[in-house]
Amino acid sequence: MTYRAPIRGSGWKETLSSVFNRQYREVPAVQHASFALAPGEVVGFIGPNGAGKTTTMKILSGLLHATSGQVQVLGYSPWQRRSEFLRQIAFIRGSQPVGGSQELTVLDTLQYQRLLYEVPPAEYRRNLDELTELLDLKELLQRQLRALSLGEKMRAGLALSLLYRPAVMFLDEPTLGLDVTGATTMRRFVAEYAEQTAATVLLTSHYMVDVASLCPRLVLIDKGQVQYDGKLDELAAKLSPYKLLRLTAPNADEERLRRAGEVLEASDGTWVLRVPRDAVARTTAELLTELEVADLSVEEAPLEVVIDRAYREGVG
Amino acid sequence: MTMPAASYRRPAFRPRRLLQMISLRTRMEVLEWSGTWWFLLTLVVQAVLGPLIGMFVWSAVYPADPYVATYYVALLLVTVMTESFEQFTFSEKIYDGTISHDLLRPQPVIVNTIGTNIAIRTWLTIMGVPVALLTGIAFGISLTWTAILAALPVFVLGATLNFCWIFMLSLTAFWTERVHSIVGFGWTLNSLLGGTIAPLVFLPERLRDIGQILPFYGMLGLPADVVAGRVHGLEPLLTGLGYQAVWITVFSTAAVLLWRAGIRRYTVVGA
Repeated sequence: MTYRAPIRGSGWKETLSSVFNRQYREVPAVQHASFALAPGEVVGFIGPNGAGKTTTMKILSGLLHATSGQVQVLGYSPWQRRSEFLRQIAFIRGSQPVGGSQELTVLDTLQYQRLLYEVPPAEYRRNLDELTELLDLKELLQRQLRALSLGEKMRAGLALSLLYRPAVMFLDEPTLGLDVTGATTMRRFVAEYAEQTAATVLLTSHYMVDVASLCPRLVLIDKGQVQYDGKLDELAAKLSPYKLLRLTAPNADEERLRRAGEVLEASDGTWVLRVPRDAVARTTAELLTELEVADLSVEEAPLEVVIDRAYREGVG
Repeated sequence: MTMPAASYRRPAFRPRRLLQMISLRTRMEVLEWSGTWWFLLTLVVQAVLGPLIGMFVWSAVYPADPYVATYYVALLLVTVMTESFEQFTFSEKIYDGTISHDLLRPQPVIVNTIGTNIAIRTWLTIMGVPVALLTGIAFGISLTWTAILAALPVFVLGATLNFCWIFMLSLTAFWTERVHSIVGFGWTLNSLLGGTIAPLVFLPERLRDIGQILPFYGMLGLPADVVAGRVHGLEPLLTGLGYQAVWITVFSTAAVLLWRAGIRRYTVVGA
């Protein structure tokens, strides 16, 4: 996928010249991105700003026509935007959770959605009851869309998109701007929905907690190309050759701990050590034998650190 | 890139369903626009201004001719009932990216555009009819039911033609950010050659002949002329309907081609 962007130099001469001789530059947005999702998979689609995540999602949902390559979703070419294709997908954006008439109430909009997607009345009532319960919508149903807060709009947007039970969901920054409770509710809801309906979910988010809690598989994209496609924990292992040992040993000798690994934190008898991944088992056994350890846990490096490294240095 | 395959397919085109969706959308939009009656009132004022000025000017030129007042009251009504604003209701969605919401819905994007158009026209009609009645009473005009009934087909085609024309121009928003200038130019052509600045019958013969062939007379002047009893017999009526049908075909075909080309350029800025 490439965009054609007009360019020109600065100053009067260049400006006048561009009137008669417009020049363009091809800007690549997504190139050689190749991946497939199995039914029911929940996949994190991550990358730095400008990597091509949203462009890819727009291509997959039919909003953009790819300038080259092949795209198939549910057996359809998305850009043709066939009605039967659009009935089975939902594209939810954290930046614009609900579109259309903002003067209408949430309930009016849900009813319009029912007619638009031809949801049978009995199914509509069942789905509405379920969504009202899960997303805590009762207080919102009578309110106009324009009067909702961002978090409320996100809940309403989810209800509108899930009313017709889409088989494929594209979630673009779904927790953008949400508070802790709102983000947790959204994550829990998406996880439950995917589990109950076996929907396929492709999720982009800059919040690694979204990815870590929802997506066993990760597709990492940068400069329009797929850099990594695989399990989340395998990426962590690949990019972070260390694990963190968190131990509580009030009487431990600091010098002994420094020999076991790099001390990252030390407070009130609790220590965090960075230990090479292949030395974790041996080091743990030695510390448990030699020291009076009250508590010990082995942790992966924070996902943010892993992903930051992937963005900066590449996956290799 | 591939994702799971579909389990079922529905027929792609269902005309009855399409009409249902337009009707549903119109009802929604009527409700939506009901909250902005003051804004709609300004649109009515803008719409009636041209015909009223024309009436005052030409009544001064031909004070004894009752045709002038009848024509302009009919024209006033036709104008408010057929105004199109797709440069706002459609083009702006391209500019701010909110057309993406329409593109993701399982219905043609034009359904929403038509629904909005009919809803605004409904409100303008409700607000414009009293103005037309008052003007008619003030100028002592009288209309016949036969003339009104005869004008119905040309009025319906004229309204469709006006929509196709403005929608076609509004589609240029895919290429330029100056769509309002383009539609403004189209509106000027409408006023000049459609019969607002001057009834077509008052123009020199050569200009009148050209005006009858061009699409603008079919949008405004022809329905008003039929109501005013200026179109005598079936033949000129059928000729007018024929021109309207041809121009509707031309503009709607151009609109389809522009849409197909434009949607490939759409880059969903800011959405």
